[in-house]
Amino acid sequence: MKRSLEVIRASSWLGWQVEANWADPFLFFVYAIAKPLATTLILFFMVRIVSGGSATEDTFLFLFLGNTFFLYVTEVLIGISWAVFRDREDYETLKYIYTAPIHFLPYLLGRGVTKMATATLGVLVALVFGRFVLGLPIGDAHTPWGLVVLATLLGLVAVVWLGIILAGASLIVARHSINMNEGLSGLFYLLSGAVFPLEVLPGWARTISLGLPFTYWLELLRRLILGRPYAAPLAHMPDMTLWGVLALSTAVLTVFALLWFRWCEHVARSRGLIDWKSNY
Amino acid sequence: MNGWRERLRMNLGAIGARARVRVVASWRERSWIVGETIFPFLAMSAFVLVYRGLKAPRIYEAFVVLGGAMIAYWNNILWSMASQFFWEKEQGQLQLYLITPISRMAILLGMALGGIAMTTSRAVVILTGGILVFGIPFPWDRALPAFGLFLLTLGAVYSLGMILSSLFLMWGREAWYTATLFQEPIHLASGFYFPVRALGTVAASLASILPIAVGLDGIRQVLYGEAAHGFLPLRWIPVVLVALLALFLFLAHRSLAFMENMGKREGRLTLRGD
Repeated sequence: MKRSLEVIRASSWLGWQVEANWADPFLFFVYAIAKPLATTLILFFMVRIVSGGSATEDTFLFLFLGNTFFLYVTEVLIGISWAVFRDREDYETLKYIYTAPIHFLPYLLGRGVTKMATATLGVLVALVFGRFVLGLPIGDAHTPWGLVVLATLLGLVAVVWLGIILAGASLIVARHSINMNEGLSGLFYLLSGAVFPLEVLPGWARTISLGLPFTYWLELLRRLILGRPYAAPLAHMPDMTLWGVLALSTAVLTVFALLWFRWCEHVARSRGLIDWKSNY
Repeated sequence: MNGWRERLRMNLGAIGARARVRVVASWRERSWIVGETIFPFLAMSAFVLVYRGLKAPRIYEAFVVLGGAMIAYWNNILWSMASQFFWEKEQGQLQLYLITPISRMAILLGMALGGIAMTTSRAVVILTGGILVFGIPFPWDRALPAFGLFLLTLGAVYSLGMILSSLFLMWGREAWYTATLFQEPIHLASGFYFPVRALGTVAASLASILPIAVGLDGIRQVLYGEAAHGFLPLRWIPVVLVALLALFLFLAHRSLAFMENMGKREGRLTLRGD
């Protein structure tokens, strides 16, 4: 355990160097906030252009929160799996990690910690932008910010293990399958109802959506910050149930991720894919 | 005379060879086909459902679908054209291009043609899925002029990709991050998910330097007329695109030569250990 924590700490430091040492802090800051601000403004203009219809500030507020917190999913999910491709094919260091006296899984978790840090910066800037530039009523004196942080952390655990699942898949597929990772992130963006109410999904998709931890995570965060439910299919669920479902689904995801990653590692090693290069 | 013919033959061969690598590769990896078609469609669907959740007129969903198809090309330019020389440098292949008697423009043109072939499968799935799954209105009787404008747009956009490629030639790891910076902010500025006019006159005018913004605006206007909320008058758009195409090709040629010379002087075209 102590050894794993040391590996996590070292690889998160390495991840930070990979992420940030190419530029001065200001440029890196711009890079970190460009995506969340741009996606926020895309939704802002989408809502504004149809605001003659039924779109209101309240509608945008829910979309804004879902989109902002979903940044964690995008960044961490893609970041962890992309670390496999980068280390395997660009830096060609993956084989050295396997020949070092460490396990690859804690190394990847450390890389995930770095992505969590950069995503947190983006989320915080987006929230401040929404509150003070767009004038959105985000939080008040009654907002339980401690619970918001707790719910964010719990959701992050699920995101990280999902990232590990994708990293396992990345070990056995070619580099250009980064599209698969981005696509899966898009799929979760679609199914978790990050930017639209779940009730617009067709029935079969809504069923899948209700099996995803992110659906409950985003609903919980919206309720904690805004004090009222958003997704109609979850409106009957008390907050405690949402906490319970999120915790349980995260536990199931963790077990599955561990088993899946171990199997993928075995396949990658037996097929000689650890030093694969597949950039066409 | 023979020298001129020989150069032409070699450059045409290089274009075909560089394009072929991509076409063959795109069909060799099944995971790529799925990743390039199904998943991007699902990601685009989220934005269609935003409008559906807002109870917006159906035509807005069509805007998203067309934008989603164009995003495929923009991402291809960023990741497989602009930053490709960076990848090639990391793999030690860039120096092989430089020692051949082939124009860099020929290599880039091959990349562009191969990239267009790769990306068209993704764009077609998005468009077909948009029509069949979401039932977006698509006036087939106006498809031909829209397709013509689309081809003109691709020419100008890939020419811009050549300029970006010359810039990325000089960069190290910052190329990767710069490409990321050119994703969502360009999606915003180009009006991929909403008519670019919504940005306001000043911002939309600035966005008009991006051929993909101008082209998408034009394609929407051709297909949906007034309902497209176009920014530039439609009759100007082909002229603007041709002008951008010519300008970007000229700049790409100059920029590539300049950057290559600078890279050689500063020793930035190869990596330590190559």
